[in-house]
Amino acid sequence: MRDFALLYINGVRREIRGREALLMLADWLRKEADMTGTKIVCAEGDCGSCTVLRAFANCATLTQAHTQAKVHVGVSSVDGQNATHVAPLDFEAMNSCIATVAQMDGSHIVTVEGMQCGQELSPAQVAMRQCHASQCGFCTPGFVMAISGMLEKHGGAGGAGVDAKMAANYLTGNLCRCTGYTPIVQAALTVRATEKYSVAGRYSNAAAIADALAITKQPLLIEHDGVKLFAPTSLREALTFAAQNPGFRVLGAATDLGVQINKGKPLPRVVLSLHLLDELYQAKQTRAGIVMGARVTLAQVRRMCETTAPELAHFLNLFASPQIKNVATLVGNIANASPIGDTLPFLLIAGAVVHVASRPSGKGPIQKRKIDMCDLYVGYKKLALEPGEIITHVSFDATSSNEILRLYKVSQRKDMDISAISGAFSLTMAGREKHPAASDHKKTDTKPPIRTGQKQTTPRVVSARIALGGVAATPIRMPEVEAELLGDFTLEKAERVAQMITNSIVPLSDVRASAAYRRVTAGNMFRRYAKEVLHG
Amino acid sequence: MADAPIGQVSSYSGALTPTTLLPDLGSLPHDSATTHVTGTSEFIDDRPMLKGELHCGLIYSPFARARLQHLDTAPALAIPGVVCAITAADVAHNMWGDVFADQPVIAAQQVNFVGEVVAVIGAQTKEALARGLASVVVRWEKLPDIRSIDAAVANASFIGHELQIAKGDALTALKSSPHTIAGVLKIEGADHFYLESQAAVVYPREDGQLEVHSSTQHPTQTQHVVAKACGIPFSDVVCVAKRLGGGFGGKETQASPFAAYAALVAKRTGCAARIVLTKDEDMIMTGKRNPFQIHYECGFNDAGKIIALDAMLYSDGGAYADLSTAIMARAMLHCDNAYFIEHARLRGQVCRTNFHPHTAFRGFGGPKGVALIEMILEDIARVVGRDALDVRKLNCYAPDRDTTPYGQRVENNCLPDLFEALETKSNYRARRQEIQAWNLDRARNPHAHARGLSMTAVKFGISFSTRFMNQANALVNVHMDGTLQVSTGAVEMGQGVNSRIAALVAEQFGLPCAAVRIMPTSTEKNANTSPTAASSGTDMNGSAAVMACQKIKHRLAALACALRAIAPEHWPTKTAGAATQPEIAISDRAGTFTMFPDATLHDARVDGTGATTNVNSPHATRVIFKNSNVIVSEPAQPDFQIEFSQLVSEAHFNRTSLSEYGHYATPHLAFDKVKGQGRPFLYFTQGVAASEVEIDRHTGEIKVLRVDMLMDVGRPVNHALDMGQVVGGFVQGMGWVTTEHLYYNDNGLLVSHSPSTYKIPCVQDTPRIFNADFIVNNANAVNVRATKATGEPPLLLAISVWTAARDAIALARPVHAGVPTTSTPFSGATNHTHSSSVNLGSQSTAKKNLVRLSIPATAERVLRELSPELFARWDAPSTP
Repeated sequence: MRDFALLYINGVRREIRGREALLMLADWLRKEADMTGTKIVCAEGDCGSCTVLRAFANCATLTQAHTQAKVHVGVSSVDGQNATHVAPLDFEAMNSCIATVAQMDGSHIVTVEGMQCGQELSPAQVAMRQCHASQCGFCTPGFVMAISGMLEKHGGAGGAGVDAKMAANYLTGNLCRCTGYTPIVQAALTVRATEKYSVAGRYSNAAAIADALAITKQPLLIEHDGVKLFAPTSLREALTFAAQNPGFRVLGAATDLGVQINKGKPLPRVVLSLHLLDELYQAKQTRAGIVMGARVTLAQVRRMCETTAPELAHFLNLFASPQIKNVATLVGNIANASPIGDTLPFLLIAGAVVHVASRPSGKGPIQKRKIDMCDLYVGYKKLALEPGEIITHVSFDATSSNEILRLYKVSQRKDMDISAISGAFSLTMAGREKHPAASDHKKTDTKPPIRTGQKQTTPRVVSARIALGGVAATPIRMPEVEAELLGDFTLEKAERVAQMITNSIVPLSDVRASAAYRRVTAGNMFRRYAKEVLHG
Repeated sequence: MADAPIGQVSSYSGALTPTTLLPDLGSLPHDSATTHVTGTSEFIDDRPMLKGELHCGLIYSPFARARLQHLDTAPALAIPGVVCAITAADVAHNMWGDVFADQPVIAAQQVNFVGEVVAVIGAQTKEALARGLASVVVRWEKLPDIRSIDAAVANASFIGHELQIAKGDALTALKSSPHTIAGVLKIEGADHFYLESQAAVVYPREDGQLEVHSSTQHPTQTQHVVAKACGIPFSDVVCVAKRLGGGFGGKETQASPFAAYAALVAKRTGCAARIVLTKDEDMIMTGKRNPFQIHYECGFNDAGKIIALDAMLYSDGGAYADLSTAIMARAMLHCDNAYFIEHARLRGQVCRTNFHPHTAFRGFGGPKGVALIEMILEDIARVVGRDALDVRKLNCYAPDRDTTPYGQRVENNCLPDLFEALETKSNYRARRQEIQAWNLDRARNPHAHARGLSMTAVKFGISFSTRFMNQANALVNVHMDGTLQVSTGAVEMGQGVNSRIAALVAEQFGLPCAAVRIMPTSTEKNANTSPTAASSGTDMNGSAAVMACQKIKHRLAALACALRAIAPEHWPTKTAGAATQPEIAISDRAGTFTMFPDATLHDARVDGTGATTNVNSPHATRVIFKNSNVIVSEPAQPDFQIEFSQLVSEAHFNRTSLSEYGHYATPHLAFDKVKGQGRPFLYFTQGVAASEVEIDRHTGEIKVLRVDMLMDVGRPVNHALDMGQVVGGFVQGMGWVTTEHLYYNDNGLLVSHSPSTYKIPCVQDTPRIFNADFIVNNANAVNVRATKATGEPPLLLAISVWTAARDAIALARPVHAGVPTTSTPFSGATNHTHSSSVNLGSQSTAKKNLVRLSIPATAERVLRELSPELFARWDAPSTP
């Protein structure tokens, strides 16, 4: 059993124990390591001032980096020895303010202090300076890291391929109150990566990668001040721990739990981190559907679903920030059970099944069962899980070609905002042609026209699925509305259904919207959907 | 996600031309640019913790108004690591406030807003602090509170008296006006959302002195509040403000009590003490932009020319006065904005409520007055059936119509030119037609989204409206290697005041900017300073620095003239050690030469190489500071040239002082606040912006498609920094008028107290096309180097986004107001320029149809205006 988290910070090996291991990474950097370039503003992952780059090397991620596959199907077993010669590390931006040091175990972290080469500024730093992209300077290190993260992905050929839209997408997770962003976007557009400054190139040290792989084969146990954090290396160990420690809490990416801790909620006494379970990093597409392990991030989901569930991929562009999506998991979004969890309405209509495992009394074989997504939520933030059960993965259907799927979200600010309400709408029409432009979907600004068969005939709905978030204590399906939709589909009927949706929900008024606004926009989401179905 | 590329700001290539009198001082990067990008710029909480340094935390009220029945800090002190607890009884002088000293540093018996502090805890670790804070026992008795302007007015709960500005006879003129419109405009507040929350570190120094490092815009006030709270003389407190992670007005007054909390702990314990608010604490506790409620009536003629305006402005001041009365004055002083109003009666009253004391925020009341008049002009246009731009141009200040309601004349009036220029640059007329066509074109606009276009102006008065605050001082030290350290009262908070002052000083001595270091702002070097606010930082502190430079230059110039006649081997550096030569007397040379650059730079001209040449010199002898050299030039004589650093050394060995202090008092100011008449402002910064927005029919979300801005910023000291202020200020203003929504619960607690619920603009919210440019204007002779302040004015141009949203809503209504009777809804090609085709019937319809949209125009509010029928059934009384 290991009593320290292993991190490489700007290439320097750190073993971090006890109290320090339970600090948030940003606090640790600033107060324990005297690296104050990383700033903390909101402590909730909404401003990006604490952005650092992280690469996590385990068998699964190294394989992915190695194959460079956008759609990664399955994971072949690669043992640590063979993996050491692979692959530059895959550095991605993340928020260091809401991630504990312990869950960063095995990670390679690069902070703003690690960007300079001696006295020379890195390309992102040069561009930010030249474009007058800093004013007060407080958000600046975070932007430098976000741009550097973009360069790791798109900077290879002298920055080719980065347009203003892409640059902005990489900067969505960073707030600035001084500049109005324009000079920062210009910096992101003018920056040119060079081999010399590539973060992966500078920090993919084979010995360090091998060291991290070897060390993380041992389970981690951090104990301090009555808190116990355990990171097993096998599912069996994990389930035993879960059985023996009632009230345990799974620590995923902590993008919600970390916020709560920063806001004064004490760290749970017993914490289980699954970051060393290679098998949970699996993401694959089978004939039966798409399967995502509990450690698969939303960024991976988005990349994977670009062809299989393009509407979901498109929708995920509006989900949180790049920094959050790079660490937060789909299963985490499910397990958090928020009534406004952005992926949940989609999963409710996509035939999603949650796979759970347990080892009652901590002995014997692993027991597995499946829970239909529609049965998962039994109350506000309450899951239909038995004590000791852990969600290992989730599977759902790929979007079928004769289905018209749309995901909508209404929020105070378009991007990087929690929805007031969200909705997933899917109709399958009789005799509908295969969508001609499905694969180009995300590249187009306006939705591609949807053909509804013969223009002269009234379109007929053979299957309808509708789910809403933010209108009740849990995300909900709307069976009555779905039943009403079967049969001929006309604008008059659409208006009736829109009113039915508005009338049948009982939302609350809160900081994000009034109940009336939620009712009206729930109906309007359907009005928009119907227009897209009928007129394209 | 952006569905179109994020626009870039256009270059400012056309801004300055070779006809410019003086060379551009360059667009050098911010003086901290390198340390910003490397993360080495030091902010308050980046300072290393000293051994024994204490963390401070606060116990504050959870109720808008309550009696403090019982407060027991003993349980906290029993926790290991908790070192001290401070309550009201420990505060030597427990009252502070800039205008009225009406706010306790620590509340004693009663609290008047959520977030009002009743105790400060000091602890050795953050963990101990958290436990200590949790164990303090407090019992509150909730009292009735006032949480709206209406309630305050009903209860006559006011701060200060009613202010009034009057011109002509507004009430009579209203009665005789052909048309009037009247209504109530509600404008909510906004959080500053500076990224660095309120923070201070206090180090106890020997013999009872305190060294305060505070994220404050007003080091002098912070020094004074700390000293009074601790019961020590001002001379025992030094307040330093190296840099701020944003201020925007939020640290003009409200940084001081937090510094005082840390100081009280430091003084009690003898340990260094640090307070760093979390974003949540900061947003809950500190005041915002004042909410306003404006009751107005405006009279105008058939053409849309304003005849009279009567407005009663109420603002929500929160629980204590803070700066609210001055903010109200500025709001009233900006109700005219760019437009001539013959008869005006403007009244203003600050209300006392049970919210955090509202405070300065970029624009300082100005945006409220401007929003009012810009909205009125849009509505007038609807009623008379003309395009709003035509109505604006009709009402714009002009040579024969240039007196403001408060009696100041609008000098250097660029507004008509700005309107004309932007109308062309933005292609306003063609886009107006295209927008109306697009709105009705179901092929291109299948969801019936609504686009709108609006051009608004700003004429922002520069100077504190309170005369005595318009003073600044600067200390200039020239070192013997020819480099300089300059200290002023200006606080660097991102705006680039350091870089601008450095450029002004460097130009004075003919040195590169790199030779000038601007030192941290500190009250031991610059005392009795005004806050860095009112956009005046560079104007006032730069002027003071230039005055100090002039004094030093004068001595150096005289010395250079003398050295010309002395053999180099007899110069002071060669002879001072043994004192073989007499010292050079320089005072008798006063008035025998002319210096370049001179203090005002008004007469200076430059040749093609950027060198200064003689213009109107009263003396034959010219002393020119350029290219790190000093040149003495006389007719028919060879020039005498000496390196600046050499001359400086000679001066030192000649016992000539190389340091100076400058004090600047803004001239020409004479505003009688009691009468509401006079000249409150030195000059006006002006600009116009045209914004085009698209409103989502289904959600009410506003997307800003295009913004064109054109500003008069005089002769910029640093283009890039000015452009940064203009673009950044606009986007900040966009947040205020659109997505930034302060949501309070029934206890008066701000619930939207973090970025997860309080939505400032993110990168995707910036206009898709964003063109910003400056005009050439060298005529602002009253200010240093003929520059104009840029800090606040651009924020007010974001009001065009709000008026564009109103325009979009109006155009989207079934039969929108003012449509000439001959046009059909589907013609889509009406430009509304012919008022003659509007009949009286459509005017009364138009009045009924006027858009009622508060600020901010949140998606919900927009959708309510767009589709009121969908809300009718569901409207609960308590909609936000």
